[in-house]
Amino acid sequence: MEIKELSYYINQAKIIKPENHKNKIRIAFVGSFTINGFEETIQVQCNDEKINCITYNSPYNQFNQEILDENSNLYKFKPDIIFLLIDNRTILENSFYFSNINSENEKKKYTDEKFNEINNLIKTFTKKSHSKIIITNFVIPTYTPLGIYESKIEYGIKEIIFELNKKLKELSRNIDSCYVYDFNSFVTKFGEKNILDYKKMNYGDIKINFDVIPYLIYEFLGYVKPILGLNKKCIVLDLDNTLWGNIIGEDGFEGIKLGPYPEGRSFVEFQKVIKSLSENGIILAINSKNNQKDAMKAINEHPHMILREKDFSCIKINWNDKISNMIEISNELNIGLDSIVFFDDDPVNRELLRMSMPEINTVELPKDPSTYAQILRNLNDFNTLKITKDDIHRKIMYKQEQNRQKLESSTENLNEYLKKLDIKIKIKLNDKFSISRISQLILKTNQFNLTTKRYQEEQIKEFVKDETMIVGCSEIEDKFGENGITNVFIIKTKPNEWIIDTFLLSCRIMGRGIEEGIIGKILEIAKNKGIEKITAAFIPTEKNKPAENFLKNYGFEKEKENWIFLLKNEFKIPDYLEVELK
Amino acid sequence: MNEKKLFEIVARVFNIPVNEINYELNSENVENWDSFTGYVLLDEIETNFDVKFTMDESLEIKRIEDFKNILKKKGINFE
Repeated sequence: MEIKELSYYINQAKIIKPENHKNKIRIAFVGSFTINGFEETIQVQCNDEKINCITYNSPYNQFNQEILDENSNLYKFKPDIIFLLIDNRTILENSFYFSNINSENEKKKYTDEKFNEINNLIKTFTKKSHSKIIITNFVIPTYTPLGIYESKIEYGIKEIIFELNKKLKELSRNIDSCYVYDFNSFVTKFGEKNILDYKKMNYGDIKINFDVIPYLIYEFLGYVKPILGLNKKCIVLDLDNTLWGNIIGEDGFEGIKLGPYPEGRSFVEFQKVIKSLSENGIILAINSKNNQKDAMKAINEHPHMILREKDFSCIKINWNDKISNMIEISNELNIGLDSIVFFDDDPVNRELLRMSMPEINTVELPKDPSTYAQILRNLNDFNTLKITKDDIHRKIMYKQEQNRQKLESSTENLNEYLKKLDIKIKIKLNDKFSISRISQLILKTNQFNLTTKRYQEEQIKEFVKDETMIVGCSEIEDKFGENGITNVFIIKTKPNEWIIDTFLLSCRIMGRGIEEGIIGKILEIAKNKGIEKITAAFIPTEKNKPAENFLKNYGFEKEKENWIFLLKNEFKIPDYLEVELK
Repeated sequence: MNEKKLFEIVARVFNIPVNEINYELNSENVENWDSFTGYVLLDEIETNFDVKFTMDESLEIKRIEDFKNILKKKGINFE
């Protein structure tokens, strides 16, 4: 996304018509200083990402009133996410200038008092609202009245801020819906001189310079995307002049630029950043026009390659066009094009991809490869609100999936194949430890999803507590390994009837009849409890065609808008599945 | 030439056609001109003309002509 000047966003916000976008989010800004321009900028940036964003700006410097008063307009607005920005001058008051007057003990006491104020605000907010809250941390002051003597004292103004930031981080580790945005690092990145303009501060308490506001908002968008499940899952890479310099087919194994010398370092740095993302669960693939033997030799044997064959979940090195390779990658990994980020140095390829596959984020790359690493670092597409055990194992699981596909193509009869897989389904009900993974699946599963209802983690927690509801999930295991939690269902219970509010399956395990095993088990549990009727619904979206015929094929009967199964009728679980209730 | 440059900045910030810009425009007769966008305008003029307004100068500004007069004082040619 190209970042433009603030006045562009202010004007554009009046023109855009985001009402048609399916993804909606309500964002509130609450600040201790002037934060005009934030609303317009995030509305326009969201619109560019096809998100309908409705905003609220708290009145100037009323963060205490807005959060502590449960009848405030902030709560009436019902935000999905709020950004709380308190600057260091506001929190430190006179201590910002006169910290040197107080003894060290007084300063420590003061730090505790100030933290308690913030702690109270955040805890109050999370009690009263289901919204996520993002608080910006405090900027370490660059000035101290003690001058060079500052380093000789144990606890000065910088320590007050260090300590506050440390405590903030601890607080956010303990409250799931609270995150700390590292504003101090943002200021370090852009430089304090460029952020704080004293004239603007004295003129209108404007503490963030206009030209950096759009960059800050772009960072904030990094929280919005994962809430809506719009974060990317896969990086697809070209090879020549993208992962290394020069062309392997022409310049040869020794002729590619990769290693500890000026022309080679850019590519090493770029590969290291990619590798670090893959460690967080982002999957990698190659889409390159090349002689496969030459390219694989470089990947496997070049002494300075950081990414090796095992790091890639799918490799397409051939002379086919990039589009058909991309379709194959998307199919084999079973991920949507809108989950892919594509890097290619060739502007013609990029243009081709943008035209024919606009869902893919094809990243604009300048000619100079020394910029690649920083461009990748600055993308806000890979944020997740949680890193689960499954994310870290994802790479391995995709590899296993490819082994399964190999077996599938070597087994002629589908039933035979499914039998050979030794599939085990372990169902868990109302399991507190699975909530974050359940919420993750609910937010991002598009294909096999009967109702595509999106719930935030806080809502799932409420459901688990609610005795009239059942929140279930299933772990799937087969002879190639564990798939982790890849199914979720939510049931509303009535005395005689169970209503299936949500039923979804991760695309990783589609096509193995697992859904029939799980629904069969649900029916069995219901029948044992004396329930007579199960009601389900299919709400069509652009993407959930794979789930369209599931209820019908299993034996549900259409009744008006819903699908009904009467438990006096017979039902079954496929014989090749082992289904167990934990 | 600098008049054209000034008018283009005003037009962009307030989102009005450049041929409707004149020196008499002020916060009363321009709908989008409030204390914040007025400051955004000042900021863009500073950046594009590579000058800095003092606080007193910033507070003096009531209409577009005031920008011209201050810029002239700073050696920007409006002939």
